[in-house]
Amino acid sequence: MDKAYVELAHLTKHFGDVAAVADVCLDVPEGRITTLLGPSGCGKTTLLRLIAGFFPPDAGEIRIKGVRVDHLPPQRRSTAIVFQDYALFPHLTVFENVAYGLRRRRVAAPEVTRRVREMLAFLGLEDHGGASPLHLSGGQQQRVALARALAVEPDVLLLDEPLSNLDAKLRTRVRTELKEIQQSLGKTTIFVTHDQEEALSISDRVAVMDAGRIRQVGSPVEVYAHPLDRFVADFVGIANFLPATVRAVTSEGVVLESPLGTLMTPPRSEFTEGERLTILLRPEALRLSFESGTGTLPARIRSTSFLGGTRRHHVQVGQLTLMVDESFSGTAEDAGRQIWLTIDVARLHLLPSEPA
Amino acid sequence: MQSESLTQRSVVAHSEWRVRAWFREPVTLTVGLAVGGLLTVFVLLPILQVITYPSIQDYFHLSENSRWVRATSNTFRMVLLSTCTSTVVGFLYAMAISRPDFPGRGFFRLMAVLPLFSPPFTIGFSYLLMFGRFGVITHGLFGLEASILGWWSLWVVQTLSNFPYAALAIERALATTPPTLEAAARDLGGGWLAVFRTITLPLARPAVAGAALLVATYVLADFANPLIIGGDFPLLATEAWYRIDGWGDLRGATLLAATLLPPATLLFIGERYWVSRRTYAVIGGRGSSLDRPPLPGLLQWSLLAFCGLVAGLILSLYFGVVAGAFTRTWGVDWTPTLNQWYVALTKADHIRNSLVFAATAGLFATVLATVAAYLVDQRAFPAGRVLDALCVLPAAVPGVFFGIGYLLVFNRPGVPLAGTALVLILAFTFHNLPFSYQIARAGLAQIHPNMADAAADLGAFRFRILWDVHLRLIFPACVAAWTTAFVNGVTNLSIAVFLVAGGNQVATFSILGLIGDNRLEAASAVTTALLAATLLVVAAAWRFSRGARVIPGVLSG
Repeated sequence: MDKAYVELAHLTKHFGDVAAVADVCLDVPEGRITTLLGPSGCGKTTLLRLIAGFFPPDAGEIRIKGVRVDHLPPQRRSTAIVFQDYALFPHLTVFENVAYGLRRRRVAAPEVTRRVREMLAFLGLEDHGGASPLHLSGGQQQRVALARALAVEPDVLLLDEPLSNLDAKLRTRVRTELKEIQQSLGKTTIFVTHDQEEALSISDRVAVMDAGRIRQVGSPVEVYAHPLDRFVADFVGIANFLPATVRAVTSEGVVLESPLGTLMTPPRSEFTEGERLTILLRPEALRLSFESGTGTLPARIRSTSFLGGTRRHHVQVGQLTLMVDESFSGTAEDAGRQIWLTIDVARLHLLPSEPA
Repeated sequence: MQSESLTQRSVVAHSEWRVRAWFREPVTLTVGLAVGGLLTVFVLLPILQVITYPSIQDYFHLSENSRWVRATSNTFRMVLLSTCTSTVVGFLYAMAISRPDFPGRGFFRLMAVLPLFSPPFTIGFSYLLMFGRFGVITHGLFGLEASILGWWSLWVVQTLSNFPYAALAIERALATTPPTLEAAARDLGGGWLAVFRTITLPLARPAVAGAALLVATYVLADFANPLIIGGDFPLLATEAWYRIDGWGDLRGATLLAATLLPPATLLFIGERYWVSRRTYAVIGGRGSSLDRPPLPGLLQWSLLAFCGLVAGLILSLYFGVVAGAFTRTWGVDWTPTLNQWYVALTKADHIRNSLVFAATAGLFATVLATVAAYLVDQRAFPAGRVLDALCVLPAAVPGVFFGIGYLLVFNRPGVPLAGTALVLILAFTFHNLPFSYQIARAGLAQIHPNMADAAADLGAFRFRILWDVHLRLIFPACVAAWTTAFVNGVTNLSIAVFLVAGGNQVATFSILGLIGDNRLEAASAVTTALLAATLLVVAAAWRFSRGARVIPGVLSG
């Protein structure tokens, strides 16, 4: 584990009665992209703005490179932010926008010119220096905002949903570019998004937030495959949930009683007999077939959506409807047809049962 | 939903940080207190002085004064009549000019805007030239010698003078109604009339109500038109002036002026707080552009004829004023002459005074409005709401009332300002402050808080942010604010009549004098010169402001 470059300790921020950020602790490693992921209103942008210094926390500490900064105004922090709407100065040219932070830092004029040119060239904007940002495309504006933030060589780059104003195709491209730029500069980056696919694809670490709290921090694979609770499981990726009761815990595995019958998972020690749990079944942990076999369950296809590379089938098993992603040859015309479902118990994940 | 409220709250919290920071910064506090002090002395004090000048007994005995009763009932009658007709005419006019495909739209719009740039009595004065004793139409065309002065002439003039406010306000509402709403209603099977009745009109209703209240405010406060063509139809504003001009009766004048205040305030509050909050937010995501379908042919032609009539009337009235300036004796001897311009030349000082005083007042008003708007917008000053209220308060006060207030407070022995041009300039400044203030507020409101945050994030401190972001972005709004205050100052008569003295004569006052002396041709020349100078300055300002054009008198909510 890298040492913490940015440390958030017990950060709290209230707006009126609402705790936008509640007792958040987070270590951000150097040179990586850490993503704050969560639904609208979960406090991720507030947390980012606390780090930038736009308002003071009610409680808690923020340290950057070991130095406490939570009492400092944004001007005195070595952070630079890219806003969701970019907040480019409409009355300044692209060049002047990028130069703005350098001028405020009283960098000598020839050095400003050199660094701005370098940054514009780095981001492929060298032909647009004299243009008004209003005359650029969304993707170009986004790069100007990034250039403006990077030009001041901040210790920490803060990105507040920077891709959300781009159309779907461009978003995927810029996402890849952003990752490459970050990797080539090795800049410590905190990225805010509500898009789980974006978060999983771009991040080195993901902090999933809900109602002002961090629910889980981990690598994209960890939060996807081993969510700590139902919220994380549901928010990150597609999830089927099954209630279950532990019947036996043996050296061969955990025997579970579920609506799909008795299931046996690989050995786990943390559960006790009689405990109620939730089983998480990702769509890829399920298989469909037209023929029955050992351990298959009878099922019917209710509907099928074509997703390009794969199909998502809504499958009726007893009283349950499960989502199954597969390049299974069944199509919408197979709706209602009898098929067979196999569960890959190795990919089955157990979650503590939460009070409803 | 939650995220939305959080965003709003975060903007508040945002300023919380600044408020704390600014409190440590004595400059803000000092500036805020100074602005508050100025507003107290130059807005609150004159108003209180007028209200408290008469004794309580005087107020109680008001209803026994038959002239007062008559003036009051006349005033309300005129407000009611003129508001109805102005709003109806304005609505029809707006229906036409809000449609991009309406033939001659640019011309019709110009005709609606023109009266807003001229002295308020221009319409009244030119009406006199057309329909007066020696009027082109009454005397020249029909050989009549009848006097047209009186209430129904005033009604026509008030309608023509004030419908533009209604037309422009309603036009904005009609033009911003998403065409998709009407298209949706048509798609669901509504014919033109049904769509108009069930969609267009209900959506425009708050704007229509707001326009009516705005017009009512102006008719109530108007002084110049009743003075010129009201004849023996006493109104509160004109009576107040006669009390002072003829009798030196300050108590009588303040009583009459004070009577104007409650209805003016009610109308103002109604417009600002009630109607403006009832405007409909448009629900939905990004709109797609969609052309409105053309109006039904018959309606289109009827509207064209109607607008043609109204615009033709306005155009002929202005033509009358300009023609008068080149005529030997209006209605009697039509020989073209430049003689009137010699008279105008003798009044050149007054025109210059008008321009200089209004320009100075405009500058004061813009600076003060910008500072106050910034303090209120940034929530940097703890008593922001009080500042806000004081800045918009003068808009609720009729000019006559304000003029008398300044007369009582500043034009008396012992006050160093007494009798100087500065009193008039200050009166213009503070009476026009609400317009400049609203424009500055609107300008600042358009700057997303992220702009200032971005600058702060990049290392700019507060004065740097103020300069780099706020002032530079609202500069066009400042030019618009100045233009509005300037036009209002140049064209003002209701305040000027009470405050001009000796060397401080202004053009509107000398025009009034010329009309009073029946020297209509000379009055025409001075009016034409004043109008030309005003339009030149406005055109220059518009060029300078790079497109931020604000039309004077139309308060932006």
